[in-house]
Amino acid sequence: MSYVAGKELRIVGFLCNWCSYGGADTAGVGRFKQPTDLRIIRVPCSGRVNPLFVVKALLNGADGVLVSGCHPRDCHYSDGNFYARRRLEMLKRLLPFLGIDERRFHYTWVSASEGARWKNVVTDFTKAIHELGPFHQKEEKTE
Amino acid sequence: MAETGFLPKEKLPALLDALSKKFQVFAPVLEGDVVLFKRFASGVELCLTRPANLPPKGIIFPQSETLFNVNFKKDPEDLKKTSVELKENLDFAPTIIFGSRPCDAQGFRIYDRVYLETDIADPYYKGRREKTTIVTLTCNTPSPGCFCTSVGRGPAESDGSDLMMTELDKGYFFEPITEKGKEILKEGGFEDGSAYKEQAQKAHEKVSALVKKPFATLEGTPEKLLSLFDNNQFWEGETAKCISCGACTYLCPTCYCFNITDEQVGNTGERIRSWDACMFSHFTLEASSHNPRQNKHQRLKNRVGHKFSYYPKKYKGVIACCGCGRCIRYCPVSVDISEIVAHAQGA
Amino acid sequence: MTVEKLKEAVRKILPEVDVVIGYRQGFDPLHATPFFMTKPEQVDQLIWNPLCVQNLCSYLPFLKGKVGVIVKGCDSRAIVQYMQEKLIARENVKVIGVPCLRVISVKKVMAAINQQSVQEVTFEGENILVKTPEGQKTIPLADVAPRKCATCQLATPLQYDLLAGDAIQSNRPQDTFEETKEFEKLPLKERRAYWEKEFDRCIRCYACRNVCPMCICQDKCIAESRDPHWTSQRANVTEKSMFHMIHGLHLAGRCISCEECERVCPMDIPVAKIKKKISMDLKELFNYEAGMNPDDTPPLYTFKIEEATIKEHEL
Repeated sequence: MSYVAGKELRIVGFLCNWCSYGGADTAGVGRFKQPTDLRIIRVPCSGRVNPLFVVKALLNGADGVLVSGCHPRDCHYSDGNFYARRRLEMLKRLLPFLGIDERRFHYTWVSASEGARWKNVVTDFTKAIHELGPFHQKEEKTE
Repeated sequence: MAETGFLPKEKLPALLDALSKKFQVFAPVLEGDVVLFKRFASGVELCLTRPANLPPKGIIFPQSETLFNVNFKKDPEDLKKTSVELKENLDFAPTIIFGSRPCDAQGFRIYDRVYLETDIADPYYKGRREKTTIVTLTCNTPSPGCFCTSVGRGPAESDGSDLMMTELDKGYFFEPITEKGKEILKEGGFEDGSAYKEQAQKAHEKVSALVKKPFATLEGTPEKLLSLFDNNQFWEGETAKCISCGACTYLCPTCYCFNITDEQVGNTGERIRSWDACMFSHFTLEASSHNPRQNKHQRLKNRVGHKFSYYPKKYKGVIACCGCGRCIRYCPVSVDISEIVAHAQGA
Repeated sequence: MTVEKLKEAVRKILPEVDVVIGYRQGFDPLHATPFFMTKPEQVDQLIWNPLCVQNLCSYLPFLKGKVGVIVKGCDSRAIVQYMQEKLIARENVKVIGVPCLRVISVKKVMAAINQQSVQEVTFEGENILVKTPEGQKTIPLADVAPRKCATCQLATPLQYDLLAGDAIQSNRPQDTFEETKEFEKLPLKERRAYWEKEFDRCIRCYACRNVCPMCICQDKCIAESRDPHWTSQRANVTEKSMFHMIHGLHLAGRCISCEECERVCPMDIPVAKIKKKISMDLKELFNYEAGMNPDDTPPLYTFKIEEATIKEHEL
């Protein structure tokens, strides 16, 4: 998907279908103004998110990755987000070791009614990524 | 111009600088504890004391190369019509591999028969091969595991090289083997080498005698290996410890199997040729999911057989193993191909 | 513990199993190689010394029937981890434990003797004596041992059916992950440049993956599969880094720190560093160490409703 070169950075979001995607929907319905850098990928549950999704996104052109799911205890599938919490915390600590700023990856819990909160999450995260700048300093050639 | 040349040691950097102006020069450098062939840049110190971990085969036969780029264009007038734009990558720069070893250079001779001496020569291999000059350093000591003299080669073998160089006390003795090699001697800085020829010869003989001999002869070995083809017990015994990685094949100067993959995103893509390894479990995995070499003993039998039986039978007895010893040195479990052949001879 | 005691143990176990995996002399005096014994006469070739570096447990998930295996302390963690993940039928494996205080790193020995060819190797007390064309060199084993030996807590294996020798303690300090912490103090840019340089050398031979006792997907590894297509055939740093991330992350909470991956890399990439970082984090977060207790559950296979150590991150 093309992005507005020069103005937008590539930010990928993995949102769980039930809470976070619903929350993003609520933000939309409420007409909250947000930056448009974020590109959302809907997954059934934050527990579906393989830490390698985040790594692959970052290594292959993303400047930031956001993962959002239901609040712990409120997972639509009961325990998916409990597993996600452990995996993503582990990943969050690993990325800086490899030289990837830990602020480029953020995971949070946003419920379907939290439209305003979603707007804040997106705005703050996009701002943080813009402050950090592009992850790939020059367009990486594909060979 | 003299037939042979001598270059004092201190003049080597200047020679490489001069050559870098006309060629892209690859020479072995030390990175940590690893010796690698890297693009030579002025001021970089070479490491010529031991063979590179990875042989220079990737310079003529890259680990991954784009054969062509593809662009699918839809006709705006008729969206059902798609034209295909193909762009081949056949531009190769003049190259010098400086500081290869005789065993490394041998690998290219093995590839030549397969890639060039056929009805349709491989244009990618041919293009690079023709533009590359190989300057080989003769060995002054054997490396752990190497056994070149037992497979019809030697530490000063010139087949496959364009110019041979031997390290002597105060400098290097250069002997051209081909026209390309003679071209290099035309560069400035070389003295007449004739006074050093005998000294170089003696050095070669001395090292030759030190090389390990895991077997006395390979006479009859191609046939013997073929006769053991159905002897599963023999092969299972020899391969029990193998872990089916690709270290031996990727580091082997004579291994030339490849994979072709088409990778496409949207309307653009490329066809990539990359190294394959017969030790990987999916080496012969077919689209139907049938795999003729499902078991690792079948795969190792193929590797040993290919080098010591099938290739010699096809190409007038030339053994497709140069005896460099890398597969033995770097194998995680020290599988020893020379030992397997010796066992086969006695089986 | 002498090699004779070990041979005795193997001879005892051999009739009960299809094969016993041990070590014999390799292609030169500095290398041992795994040795699959099926007949009593083969046991004479068995060796036991600091050259015996390979983790022989890696073969277990792929072998059928009853198997005997010689394990050192660090190797035995693989057996325990297999039990946690139900990757082996423990009753089909006869474990011959061997007390071990130290092995050598071939790479470190070669560096210490200036890459000379090795003519003879002997062990005397706490030293290794290496004879090369330049002469004989006496090197303290502690100087050429791999990283893991300095903090070894398992001189006696955790799991064994037979112990060939007396149980011993290593009396070594616990691993405090100093190397990892020092690396984390470097500026971010330097860390990134470091890994890009190291991974650039990678040739994706998969020696590290195949030698790992916990990597059992092998034929189906997603680093190589076309469907799903996680990595490309292109030989650039992005793809190489992706493979190492796949390998490291799939071992999170399962890596037993045997450091075989780093030993076998032909391009000398310090791959074990990534796994140590993850192990350090998981110890801090969940007080978990892989391969210690057969009744444990790897931390990423389970969860707690309230995680005391995980605080929600603020933006």
